[in-house]
Amino acid sequence: MNSSDKQFEKRARALYQEAAQRIDPATAGRLRAARRTALETASTHGSSHHRARVLLPVGALAVMALAALMIWQPTPHQTDSIQAPAAMATATDPDSELPPGADKADPGLYQNLDFYSWLAANGSNNQSKR
Amino acid sequence: MEPGNARPDDSEHNAVNSVSAVFEAELLAQDGRAVPTSLDAFLASMERRAFRMAELHLGNREDALDAVQDAMLRLVKHYRGKPAEEWTPLFWGILRRRIVDLQRRRKVRSIVVGWLGGGHDEDGDELPAWEPADNGPDPLEKLHGEQSYADMAAAVKQLPQRQREAFILRVLEGLDVAETAQVMGCSEGSVKTHLSRAMQHLREELEAWR
Repeated sequence: MNSSDKQFEKRARALYQEAAQRIDPATAGRLRAARRTALETASTHGSSHHRARVLLPVGALAVMALAALMIWQPTPHQTDSIQAPAAMATATDPDSELPPGADKADPGLYQNLDFYSWLAANGSNNQSKR
Repeated sequence: MEPGNARPDDSEHNAVNSVSAVFEAELLAQDGRAVPTSLDAFLASMERRAFRMAELHLGNREDALDAVQDAMLRLVKHYRGKPAEEWTPLFWGILRRRIVDLQRRRKVRSIVVGWLGGGHDEDGDELPAWEPADNGPDPLEKLHGEQSYADMAAAVKQLPQRQREAFILRVLEGLDVAETAQVMGCSEGSVKTHLSRAMQHLREELEAWR
């Protein structure tokens, strides 16, 4: 680049800078207002963005806690729902009661099972004879 | 604190900030490449040149103001967290894209006017492309040195888009080749080519300057 090019560039830049300073007051005022609006809008946007940044993890935690509660809850409900009909059956229909399980019943019952079956058979015969 | 009490304090605070930003902008203008300490000061130092740059591209005061306002808003909204050294190329990049958008919109508007029958006069001759009216005051007609700038502006407006961008950013704004390439979204070689052609064209147009 030769010196005349440098001069050309220098002059062009000086004219551009002068023109930038020569802007009429109305336009300069509108540019200032535009700058202020941009900065204010950004600060409003920033605070809402900050709020969202805080609320988002809190909301996510709440959802996770709710989900954990829903996963934990069904187990006791299920046992309750299984036990509930049995209890209802006990209360409403005593004749349909099933014999207790081997682990819960008196071991003597199973040791003398033949005696009890004979007693049941003869007992019912005696009742029918009367 | 009551809102009635808060407002005067806020406005006073804003006014003080604004004055300090303008003061800092003046200091920055004296030292062209200094890094501003606040976004307010940065924009204050750029707004007038940005307006002139947009005006050179768009040839219309209102469109130029729109482009500058939009560029300021986008810079503050999306890039205020960036280091201050990056604001300059980012701002010119945003403004350049906004200018290109407005030029495209204007072209579409011109086509629509043509479709609606506005493209031909009563004799059937084609009318010039539609341009928005510029009713703003023209400072070039008011002050000393205006004619030289008007000549230069007229010559710059005749340049093809990419050559005009390269000339304004590289010569008038004083960005280096790498920054200009970043703003224009092209290689450094392309910047040099566009600038060389622009300079050749302007030397021919502004022969009287020699």
